[in-house]
Amino acid sequence: MSEEEGIFDDIYELLFSKSWNMWAGAMLLSVLSICLFIIANPWGSSGGLLNWGQNGFDFLGLSFPESTKDGSPTNILDHRFGLLSLTMLLGAMASAMLAREFAVRIAPAGELVKGFTGGILMGVGAVIGMGCTIGGFYSAWPALSGGGIIFVLGLAGGVFAAVKYILWEMEAHPEWSSGKSYTYCAANDGESRQPLYGLLVLLVGLGLVWRYDGSIATEQKLLGFAVIGLLIGLILQRSRFCVVRALREPFLSGDSKPAQALMGGLLVGLAGFVVIKYYGVGSETAAVASNFWFPALLGGLIFGFGMTIAGGCTVGATWRAGEGHVKLWLALLGLIISLPLAAEYLKPPLLDILPAGMQQGLFLPDTFGYLGGIMVILLVIPLWYLFVRWNEKTGRFAAF
Amino acid sequence: MFRYYAPVVCVTSIILPEVITMPPEAQHTLDCKGLSCPMPMVKLAKAMKKIPGGETLAMEGTDPGTKSDIPEWCERKGLELLETTESGGVFTFYIRK
Repeated sequence: MSEEEGIFDDIYELLFSKSWNMWAGAMLLSVLSICLFIIANPWGSSGGLLNWGQNGFDFLGLSFPESTKDGSPTNILDHRFGLLSLTMLLGAMASAMLAREFAVRIAPAGELVKGFTGGILMGVGAVIGMGCTIGGFYSAWPALSGGGIIFVLGLAGGVFAAVKYILWEMEAHPEWSSGKSYTYCAANDGESRQPLYGLLVLLVGLGLVWRYDGSIATEQKLLGFAVIGLLIGLILQRSRFCVVRALREPFLSGDSKPAQALMGGLLVGLAGFVVIKYYGVGSETAAVASNFWFPALLGGLIFGFGMTIAGGCTVGATWRAGEGHVKLWLALLGLIISLPLAAEYLKPPLLDILPAGMQQGLFLPDTFGYLGGIMVILLVIPLWYLFVRWNEKTGRFAAF
Repeated sequence: MFRYYAPVVCVTSIILPEVITMPPEAQHTLDCKGLSCPMPMVKLAKAMKKIPGGETLAMEGTDPGTKSDIPEWCERKGLELLETTESGGVFTFYIRK
């Protein structure tokens, strides 16, 4: 008995006593994104939160005829990405509790305002840019999307501007991020029941998985998304994988490690996605949005600013919400409110006024062939690597 | 000579463990409770710029991310992380410039 306890203790220590290496997290996330693509679609996040928002407004009696089929949204539990976001949140919450890292953390009022505003901006940016940091970047680059590269240029511009804003705020209005804060339900030193509650949350997640009938194709796909969502949530929380950090740190602390981890994950994803597309396992147009080039640039800019002041992108807000950060709960609320409204009222008129040449889907192999398309990505990633490493050594763009 | 020192050594070895468990003395404090990434690091970097060399700052925070971020940042900046304590979800980092 004591030996068994020892074994479980070892596994628990391994998984939950320390944060995982961010590289390992990025690699595992890419493997799961490849699995999602094989099942149906590559990983994305804003689509799921859009579905949540549409259901929320539907509950309040508001319908969106332009952006939903027949004016009514698909039920969250029947929508692949709505379900994925839900199980991802549960997975992250279970993981935080198992690691005794969960607590309801209420930041000072100014921070809460930034969380909500950031969420609203992210929703607008994701609709205009037709993707977020996952669908528009982490899946789009491996999917050989030209719009994905432009979207990241926009993101970088938005992140740079938001970092400047944060530094200005620190000097001009430090009181906005100071003042009363509250922490509830934190783990007591060594005597917490959080791991037990974590197991219960995990059981709720597995209960959702259980409801899908594996003998019907549609349900098989939902089943896969539900299970992978739980795993993604767990990996995100343990590895603290964060696209915002990867893009922001070169302009703040100069640290290049988060960016390097992201690049590692992109390369793993690239290998998998190219195989899936080239051999016809999945659709060639998957994760290639019709956003080249203006919507990608403008959407990336707005999204990048929003995610930096919120302190998390769609996915980062979801896993940190699971960890108990109220600022990120408000960022999620902002996203859930703004995504459906922007999809209904902002996107159609914007697309109407934009020339067709500024809103195309650019699948790189269509222009350069598969080898050329791969080479474009394999050229951009090392250039980015050289920039972040040089910047880390010289501190050229770093604030501190 | 050694006869006089021997009892002193014994007394030191007895009281030393208690001395080690005492938190380091800090001349400055920084409250980052409730804040999430990147605010604790931004506030810490700003605060460390202002304190004179050789002095210690005690930073309190509740973001689990700081558990790995602050040791790494201190190492890169050549700052000395004297000790980290945790109680009821609040982490306290003692950093000497």
